[in-house]
Amino acid sequence: MTRLLTLLVAALLALPAAAEAQKPIKVGMPIPLSGPAALFGEPASKGAQMYVDELNAKGGVLGRKIELIIRDSKADANEAVRVSRELILKENVDFLVGTLTSAEGPAVSVVAKENKIVFIAPIPKTDQLTAADKLHPYVFRVAATTTIEGRSAAEIVSKWPVTKVATIAFDYAYGQDVTKAFVDYIKKIKPSVEIVDQQWPKLGEQDYNPFINAMMAKKPEAIVSSIWGGFFVTFSKQAKALGMFDAIKFNFIGLGEAGSPETTKSMGADYPVGIWGNSYDAFYWDESSPAHRDYTARISKYLKDEYPSSWAIQGYIGMQFLAEAIKKANSADSEKVSKALLGLTVDTPAGKLTIREKDHQANRGQLYGKTLKEAKYPFAIMKPVTYVDPTKFMD
Amino acid sequence: MTARPSPHHFVPDLSFVFAQSLSGLTAAMFLFLIASGLSLIFGVLRVLNFAHGTFYMLGAYAAYQIVQWLGTGPVSFWLSALGAALGVALLGGIVERLLFQRLYGKEELYQLLFTYALVLILGDAAKLIWGTQQKSLSRPPGLSGAVTMLGATIPYYNLFIILLGPAIALGFWFALQRTRAGRLIRAAALDRETLGALGVNVNALYTGVFVLGSFLGGLGGALITPMRAIVPGMDTDVIVEAFVVVVIGGLGSFWGTFLGALIYGQVLSFGILFFPRFSIFSIFALMAAVLIVRPWGLLGRPLR
Repeated sequence: MTRLLTLLVAALLALPAAAEAQKPIKVGMPIPLSGPAALFGEPASKGAQMYVDELNAKGGVLGRKIELIIRDSKADANEAVRVSRELILKENVDFLVGTLTSAEGPAVSVVAKENKIVFIAPIPKTDQLTAADKLHPYVFRVAATTTIEGRSAAEIVSKWPVTKVATIAFDYAYGQDVTKAFVDYIKKIKPSVEIVDQQWPKLGEQDYNPFINAMMAKKPEAIVSSIWGGFFVTFSKQAKALGMFDAIKFNFIGLGEAGSPETTKSMGADYPVGIWGNSYDAFYWDESSPAHRDYTARISKYLKDEYPSSWAIQGYIGMQFLAEAIKKANSADSEKVSKALLGLTVDTPAGKLTIREKDHQANRGQLYGKTLKEAKYPFAIMKPVTYVDPTKFMD
Repeated sequence: MTARPSPHHFVPDLSFVFAQSLSGLTAAMFLFLIASGLSLIFGVLRVLNFAHGTFYMLGAYAAYQIVQWLGTGPVSFWLSALGAALGVALLGGIVERLLFQRLYGKEELYQLLFTYALVLILGDAAKLIWGTQQKSLSRPPGLSGAVTMLGATIPYYNLFIILLGPAIALGFWFALQRTRAGRLIRAAALDRETLGALGVNVNALYTGVFVLGSFLGGLGGALITPMRAIVPGMDTDVIVEAFVVVVIGGLGSFWGTFLGALIYGQVLSFGILFFPRFSIFSIFALMAAVLIVRPWGLLGRPLR
């Protein structure tokens, strides 16, 4: 009788545990799905979703499925905070993976800190996100940083036969930080470089003519821009019309992913072929690892796009780090997962990446290259395209 | 930032001033094209159409779409621009007939909410049709080059826009002053009831004005495509700029809009020399100053 009772009690106790194991792990993703930033937010969310679908098809993690709940953050810090709170309070998400702009990332980081929930940022680059005074146990980043990007550009520009350099960037966290990283580093590695002009249009400027005229009046030999995404299309169309690229003999580097396939594709023949650009990914990166080529084939199929977006990989890697950390922690508890993320190395489609213990930052670099036109594609590509390993730039 | 060179090192020379003022003029004429439609609709219908920026965006997308259908021939850009403007005008007519007409005489808050709802609905519709990927159109073949004047590079397309602005302004002025429809429009702006009592079909007149205003918005959007990316959200940027222009010039005043656009363009162009990081500040400061001194705008007249 006692044995029967014990069994019964044990069975009853086991029931909720079994039910718990069946419950999906919920991940909230605040990311821009409207406005100009949707161009990156949407594919990044699709990349995350593809990872989740693939993982769930293989049984999920710790025997539990992952449920990804995506919300439009409208590329606005206040809205990103609002939807993050809603995801935590109403949807009871266990983790946050998301945000895109350098305004949204630090804002959502504060929410993660308040709620003690792990937050992985796949795209915002501002150094401030993981700066010593802002760092807390729950924030992590798998994007490049403004330091990494600015210094990578400085190394490339330092090899050009130029000394008079001008910069143009949007006047907000990302633009200021990446420009400062570039200027500080190039002065260190090539002291002969003189910064002859700096232009600071407002974020989202539509008319660059006055800025370009003012910059060209100082006769620079090279220009470093971090006008990103769709804004680069507008900027470079106006710059091309004014003869800016010819005047500086195409000694131009477009940070903020001006070399991404989606940007060159949308501009077609209007792209200023011959400039340098960067990108998180390139489907035409044929010299990449088998893992990357396999990823490219899968994402191409998933997005039903022959030339898939370069932004999907960031959502994919963000989810991949989270799932691997859950596996390592053997728990979906944020306390344990945040500890598991420290020093975690993951074999991503972009190579082996490690989140550093000291600043919660992955050594994520970007692809760089000079653009050219090949008959194979109806738009410019970066060739040769080189992955700049950021490890040496990170301190 | 350590490396910002002092602005005092640089003495602007003639070619720079010339280039900068032409930049300002180009921006001004684009804005005039868009703001004139906004101002015209407000002047006659007394409705501040927030969806005007969305008509501009739809003009840009429609031009892109028509170019995809026509291919890149020598005249395809021009046909597309015209087709896009006509398409947007037609849409404006439908919206006015089916929806706007129910709002005349209602509280302004309803009109505002309604036009704002239109912004959201049409914006989402555009996203459904064209997606979130940025689109781009080339400059038309004949105008892809540039000319060097006084040491400054001036794109032909910019010159075309600079000439188009005054041409449209004069054409409008002539039509408003010299034609029967123009006289009726001016009369409707002053006193709708009396005009109706005199047997004029005011509803048809209103539809006509709305169609014309939408046409200008759509044309502005189509013609800007060689200069800007076509992206979701381009509507909200431009409506703010157009709004500033008509506030400075005077809501409903035709030449006021022209003057407001000219001032806007030049202040923005030269503002960056004095306030390199606050170019947008100068324009809003100017708007605030105008609102304090002349709340009805430079060439506007006080509302009754």
